[in-house]
Amino acid sequence: MRNTLAAAALACAAGTMSFGALAAEQGVTDTEILLGSVIPLTGPPALLGVAHTTGVKVAIAEANNAGGVKGRKLRLVMDDDGYVSARTLQSTRKLIDVDKVFAIPGHSGSGQVVAAMPVLEKSGIPTIASVGPVKAIYDPPRPNVFAVGSSYEDGIRALVRYLGDRNPGKTWGIITQDDDYGVAVRDGFDTVQKEKKLNVVLSATYKRGQQDFSSEMARLKESGAEVFLAGGIISENIAMVKEMEKLSIKPVTGIFWPGRVEAILKLMGPASDGLYAVDYVEPFGSPAGQAFMEKAKPLVSEAEFKGINRYTMAGYAGARVLIEAIKRCGRELTWACTNAEMARTKDLETGVMAPIGFGPNSRFTDSRLQIMQADFATLSYKPVQ
Amino acid sequence: MRFFLELALSGLAVGAVYGLVAMGFAVIYKATGLVNFAQGELTMIIAYIAWTIQTNLTGNVAVVTVGALGAALLLGLAIERVVMRPMLGEPVFATVMVTIALAVILRSSINFIWDAYPHGLDLGVGRSVVRAGAVGIRTGQIAVVATLLAMLAGFTLFFRYSRFGIAMRAVAADDRTALLMGVSTGRVHAAAWAASAVISGIAGIFFAVSYDLSPTMFQLGLKSFPATILGGLDAVIGSGLGGVIIGVAENLAGGYLGSGTKEVAGFVLIIVILMVRPFGLFGQRDIERV
Repeated sequence: MRNTLAAAALACAAGTMSFGALAAEQGVTDTEILLGSVIPLTGPPALLGVAHTTGVKVAIAEANNAGGVKGRKLRLVMDDDGYVSARTLQSTRKLIDVDKVFAIPGHSGSGQVVAAMPVLEKSGIPTIASVGPVKAIYDPPRPNVFAVGSSYEDGIRALVRYLGDRNPGKTWGIITQDDDYGVAVRDGFDTVQKEKKLNVVLSATYKRGQQDFSSEMARLKESGAEVFLAGGIISENIAMVKEMEKLSIKPVTGIFWPGRVEAILKLMGPASDGLYAVDYVEPFGSPAGQAFMEKAKPLVSEAEFKGINRYTMAGYAGARVLIEAIKRCGRELTWACTNAEMARTKDLETGVMAPIGFGPNSRFTDSRLQIMQADFATLSYKPVQ
Repeated sequence: MRFFLELALSGLAVGAVYGLVAMGFAVIYKATGLVNFAQGELTMIIAYIAWTIQTNLTGNVAVVTVGALGAALLLGLAIERVVMRPMLGEPVFATVMVTIALAVILRSSINFIWDAYPHGLDLGVGRSVVRAGAVGIRTGQIAVVATLLAMLAGFTLFFRYSRFGIAMRAVAADDRTALLMGVSTGRVHAAAWAASAVISGIAGIFFAVSYDLSPTMFQLGLKSFPATILGGLDAVIGSGLGGVIIGVAENLAGGYLGSGTKEVAGFVLIIVILMVRPFGLFGQRDIERV
C-alpha cells in the first residue's frame, strides 16, 4: 500500500513538472540535444571527474556515430565544480538557467549532489548521479534524480565478508579517513565485525590529505594484524602499501573502489600484488573491461584514453541510461517523458556493470558487487570467484 | 625498542623534509620580513618539474636534480622580480595576500600543466630499503636527513663567514641602515627568493622519491610552517631543526598515543615552547610576529 501511494505521488510529481517543461524543452533543437555535466575537472578530485566525463563522452560519441537520437546529435557542456559543494550549486544553476541544458548525465560527488538536490528537484531536470551514490540521493526517491552504482556500506560489507570468510580466526586492522567517507567505510566494517565477531587488533583514523603513514603502519605491524582494510582513497593507499613493504609486512589487504584505479598499482610497486578490492563496475582485466577499452579507444582523444579508470565506466553506464530513455521518447522529447522512461529502465545492458534497472518507486540501481584482486604483472584487477 | 626506532627514524626522515621547507620560509623571512605562503606550492612545482624531466628527457639523477634546481632558481628569481618587487613598500598585509594568491595560482597550475594522478619520481635511487636488524628505512630517507645536516652546516658557515651572508643578516636586522652601508637590498631579496625556491625544490624532490607526487603535496607547506615558528621565523638553522622536532614528535605521538594525536602533536609542542620562548627556540627576541 505504501509503495503504491509513493508510486502515485511520484507519478503526480512527474506529471506536475511536465507542465513546466512543456513550455519549451530547453536544450533541444531539431538537430541537437544539449547535455550538461557538473564535475570536478581541477584539483585532486579531477582524477575521478575527468575520467567520469570521458565515460559520458564515450556514450555520447557512440550514440552520435549511430546517427544520433532520432536525428538529433548529442552535445555535452561541462562545468567544473572542483568538488566544492557551493560551486556545485552554482554550476547546477548555470547549466539549467544559463546553458539551458536538457539533461545532466553526470553530476558530481555524493555530498555535491546532495547539496544541489533542492535545485535539481525543483527544476525537474533529468539527472544521473553515478560518481558516489549515497542514500540521501535516492532515498526518498525523487522523480528526476537517478543514482547508478552501489552504496559504500554494501561495498565494504561485501569486501569484509569475503575476506572474513577466506581468513577465519585471523586478526584484523583497519585505518580510515576522518570524514564522511571514512565513516561510511567504518560503518560497513563494523556491521560485519559484529556479525562475524572479527578480532580487531588495530583501529585507527587519519586526517584527510595525510601523506606520511609511517606511524600508522608501524602500529599495524606492532599489532600483528593478519588482515588489513586500507580505508584510504588514492595517495593514502599508495603510501600505506609502500610503508608495509618498508616494514616487511604483508597482511591480506583490501581496498575500496574509490581507490581502485589501475594506474596506482604501478606506484605501489610489487607490494600491490594480490590486493583485494570490491567494485560494481567491471575490472579492466576482465573480458568486459577489455571490450570497453576497445570500444572507447576510437571515440576519445589519446589523453582521455590514457586517463580512463573505473569512473569512466560509471560515467558511461549512467549516460547510457539517460540516452536510452531519450531514445524511447523519440522526437517529442520532454523532461517528463525522459524521467518516466528512465524510471521504466529494466535490465539495461551496458557491458560495464550488472544490468541496470529502476522502478516506479526506486531511483537506485543497487548494482551487483564483485570481488577482484590486483595483478601487478599486468597492472590490472581480475575478478575472483 | 624496535617500535620506537621505527617511529623515530621515519619521523626523522619526514621531519628532515619539513625542515628543508621550513628553512625556505625562514630564508625569505630573514631577508625580506615576509612570510611566503606559497612555499609548499613551490616545493610541489619543483617536484613536478623534476618528474617532467625524468619522464620526458632522462631519468639520470644528476641531470634531473640539476635541471629541477636550475628551474627552481629561475622560478624564485622570477617571482621576486615580477611579483614581489613591485610590492616593496606596500603594507605587509597586501604583500602576504599576494603570496596567498601566488599559492592558489601555483596549486591550480598542476592540473592545467600536468594532471591529478599521483606519480612516482623514479630516479633509480632512493627507493630501496636498508635494514638494520628488524628496522628498515629507504635510502632516500637517509639521504634527505644527510642533506638537511649538510644544509644546516652550509648555512651556518654562509651566514657567519660569507660576505653575502653577512649582508643578508644586515638587511634582516635593519634594511635602511644596510642600504646606507652600500648593501643592495634588491640583490639580497632576489638571492633569498632564489635560495628559498632551491631549498624547497630539494625537499620536493626527496619527498617525491620517498613518497609520491600528487596535487596534495603543497600541504607540506602547511606541515612545515609550524616548524619554522617553532625554530624561529628568522632562524634558518632553527627552522631546519624545528622540522626534525615536529617530524619526530608527531610520529612518536601517532605511534604511542594513537589516532588524532599525530596531527596535533606539533602544535601542542609549539604552544608549549612559544609560551616559554615566544620568538621560537632559535629566534631573536625583537622579531615582529605574524
